[in-house]
Amino acid sequence: MSRIGVFVCHCGENISRTVDVEQVAKAAGEIPGVAYSCDYKYMCSDPGQNLLKKAVAEQHLDGVVVAACSPRMHEKTFRKAAQAAGLNPYLCDMANIREHCSWVHEDKKLGTAKASDIVKLMVERVKKGKSLAPIVVPVTKKALVIGGGIAGIQAALDIADAGHQVLLVEREPSIGGHMAQLSETFPTLDCSQCIMTPKMVDVANHPNITLYTYAEVEKVEGYIGNFSVTIRRKARSVDEDKCTGCGICMTKCPKKKIPNDFDQGHGMRTAIYVPFPQAVPNTPVIDRENCTMFQSGKCGVCAKVCGPGAVDFQQQDSFSVESVGAIVVATGFKLYSIDRKPEGSPIQGYGEFGYGTIPDIIDGMTFERLASASGPTGGKIQRPSDGKEPKQVVFIQCVGSRAREKGISYCSKVCCMYTAKHTMLYHHKVHDGQAYVFYMDARTPGKGYDEFWRRSVEEEEAVYIRGMVSRMYQKGDKIVVMGSDTLVGVQVEIEADLVVLATAVQAQEGADLLAQKLGISYDKYNFYSEAHAKLKPVECATAGIYLAGACQGPKDIPDTVSQASAAAAKVMTLFSKDQMERDPVVAKVNEKYCVGCFACKKVCAYGAIEEKEIRDRQGNLVKAVAYVNPGVCGGCGTCQATCPSKSIELDGYTDEQIMAMIESL
Amino acid sequence: MTANKKQLNYSFYPGCSLHASGREYDISTRAVFKALNVGLKDVPDWFCCGATPAHNVDELLSLSLCAKNLSLAEAVEGDLAVACAACFSRLKTTQHHLKGDDNKRKQVETAIAGPASLGKPVKHILEILARDFGLAKLEEHVKKPLMGLKVACYYGCLLTRPPGVPELDDCEDPSIMEDILRALGAEPVSWSHRMECCGANFTLSRPGVVLKLSGAILESARLAGADCIMVACPLCHGNLDIRQESIEDRSKTSYDTPIFYVTQLVALALGVSGNKLGLESVIVDPRPLLMSKELL
Repeated sequence: MSRIGVFVCHCGENISRTVDVEQVAKAAGEIPGVAYSCDYKYMCSDPGQNLLKKAVAEQHLDGVVVAACSPRMHEKTFRKAAQAAGLNPYLCDMANIREHCSWVHEDKKLGTAKASDIVKLMVERVKKGKSLAPIVVPVTKKALVIGGGIAGIQAALDIADAGHQVLLVEREPSIGGHMAQLSETFPTLDCSQCIMTPKMVDVANHPNITLYTYAEVEKVEGYIGNFSVTIRRKARSVDEDKCTGCGICMTKCPKKKIPNDFDQGHGMRTAIYVPFPQAVPNTPVIDRENCTMFQSGKCGVCAKVCGPGAVDFQQQDSFSVESVGAIVVATGFKLYSIDRKPEGSPIQGYGEFGYGTIPDIIDGMTFERLASASGPTGGKIQRPSDGKEPKQVVFIQCVGSRAREKGISYCSKVCCMYTAKHTMLYHHKVHDGQAYVFYMDARTPGKGYDEFWRRSVEEEEAVYIRGMVSRMYQKGDKIVVMGSDTLVGVQVEIEADLVVLATAVQAQEGADLLAQKLGISYDKYNFYSEAHAKLKPVECATAGIYLAGACQGPKDIPDTVSQASAAAAKVMTLFSKDQMERDPVVAKVNEKYCVGCFACKKVCAYGAIEEKEIRDRQGNLVKAVAYVNPGVCGGCGTCQATCPSKSIELDGYTDEQIMAMIESL
Repeated sequence: MTANKKQLNYSFYPGCSLHASGREYDISTRAVFKALNVGLKDVPDWFCCGATPAHNVDELLSLSLCAKNLSLAEAVEGDLAVACAACFSRLKTTQHHLKGDDNKRKQVETAIAGPASLGKPVKHILEILARDFGLAKLEEHVKKPLMGLKVACYYGCLLTRPPGVPELDDCEDPSIMEDILRALGAEPVSWSHRMECCGANFTLSRPGVVLKLSGAILESARLAGADCIMVACPLCHGNLDIRQESIEDRSKTSYDTPIFYVTQLVALALGVSGNKLGLESVIVDPRPLLMSKELL
């Protein structure tokens, strides 16, 4: 006969409000095989855990059921306590009577009955349970960081400084991301490039960092501590080892009028180019779609002028396979565009703003480039259509953000602050200019943020109008902005020279596809999901993968850097041991009965099942059977449900255990 | 293909305006359908859709008025054609609300003492011309292209809004009127006030508002170089046409901008005689303009 102990938690009032916990403990005590049962207000607290430890020792318990919250919350806590008392931790299980019962029911009588049933099930499972030993896997102490914006740079530097190898992969030809595009940064107005470029150089020079720019993650296999990633290194058409970065190829390239993405299409670049002068690495890339050589086979000027002979028109995409133990995803964001909505997208455009057809309606990032000393106008505020200095500028906040009817309900978090910054930059550069801001709310939580915003209103004389803009149209060389001032209750019409839209922060292009490669989850806006909104903000539900920056949700620079360092700290924790323990809840094959149909292999979502040959002593093939790689198995049990010969079972969830649970009801 | 009698047939809900101030819209709509050999048969015993007043006073009343008309329309073959933008909006709104709300539908069914029929597609004349009949075919039927006529297409508030209800075209940047005009050989101008409100019902209670809003529309059309404005709503027509003199007095600007119903221009291009389109019964006489373009 088993000697099971049942420990029922009140969880303050979370459980006891709708479940009669004393009654549940009493009923549990009457289940055959239960030797001890009790209830306590906070079972997870120190005295609660001591109660469990004491009972295991005094009552000689051989299994424990804790009826409390979800195993995701405290399974580890109680298994540790059981282990401390000398019990195999896998003989301690949770009966979830909070999330699965008290939180979702109102009737105390029915709730109590259901809680007792849940306890009964778990007692039966533990009765048939086996002692298990954790699986030990080695850890490859090298991290992959995806994305070379400020988030990826910070995470890479932190991990590398701790002495570990880092592979930093960036899609664009240079690292730097959006932050490299900014002019000045709130709330201190320090120059973005001045604080960013030294970090970029540090990355390039760090002995522990391998930098792959113009590269993308192609495939990810494996599991925590043991990932195998395939990186596609796109053909630059320039040999990185030979190129000295002298730049003569760019000065001689005859194609000079290609809109530069780095300047939001407002500056021009050549076909062989670096995105901006401070690029890291300072190795050009040939944009094949715009290169005369690639399009018509004639030209090759860059190759002729290149001293070291680095230009290579024949270069192909190459692939490299790397082993890493942890992955930091730092792929950043893109800005919403007011264009007509793409086919199939739930995100609407702004027809009332002309769907982006009026040239002097620009987005915030374009204004950053206009205000930047390294921008297409050399830092002079000039409007795109005719280069005139705008004397009346209207800034509109919440374009796309907090607009459910346009398809986005969230707040983009950074726009209130950067619009305040824009009004300052504008006022500093155009003294006789007037800035107007249409806003819904001014959201400025952050150290020094509200003071900064007030400065824009009180000292820099920006006129803040609380209300939204309903329509804009071109009238001569002005843009008529029609809106409402909801505080005064009047309609407002402003004839502006330039309009700047604080457009929503959206998930990066292709964020969903990368998530599918990595096996991590994302929300309906394609932002990556953290494991727990409060307690695990940088971990993914998939072990060994961590999040940093705006790929997880809109974030400003200080928050991004904090999160990146936090993700790096998590990686360092993982790398602090040579081996790590994994839960032994994995599938095992009974080779005697396995007929080698490999139905399990087809359904395995983790790719954990391999084919294993069984040979006799002479080396003749007897049969092929399934083999589960315990390091890869995710413990989902799909193979168990699929196996026609019942020869594959998940430890901790064997058929015997599950049948016993069902029969107990 | 055999020369069928009538390939397309529609039931028709004219609405009150088309029997009163918007008579020209009614006449010209029927003329267009006849010229295109498309069937158009009035819904028997149709009555007012409730227009603006009903839904401002009592939602159940406004939904019931339209629901009853929709069930009357079941008696006539073909999708329900509507010309007036307000009737169109009310009928589509009723379908939209009742399809999505079982409680409301039950209330309405009690009120009209019968089932609400929501299956029949309600279509504006514009979509019948541009989509059902088709732009290419419409172009083939043009006998007198409206060459050189610069037209400001005015959509107003109700044809395309609110999002998800009329489903006629893009809410804020439609092109269906311009598409039709191009098929007729006319030249739609690009202008700013296609989607602005004319002041609508305030024409009676607060005419000052209408003079300002409709004035802005006329001014914008003038700046864009339009010869005339094309509308699909009797109320917009009234505000831009009947009020035009007061607007001119107020703004000290002479507009003399004729306001056409879409069907008047379509009928002209299809070769219907100008005498049969009610051109003489509007305030700003369009005939001198049409004569100057040799369209009359």
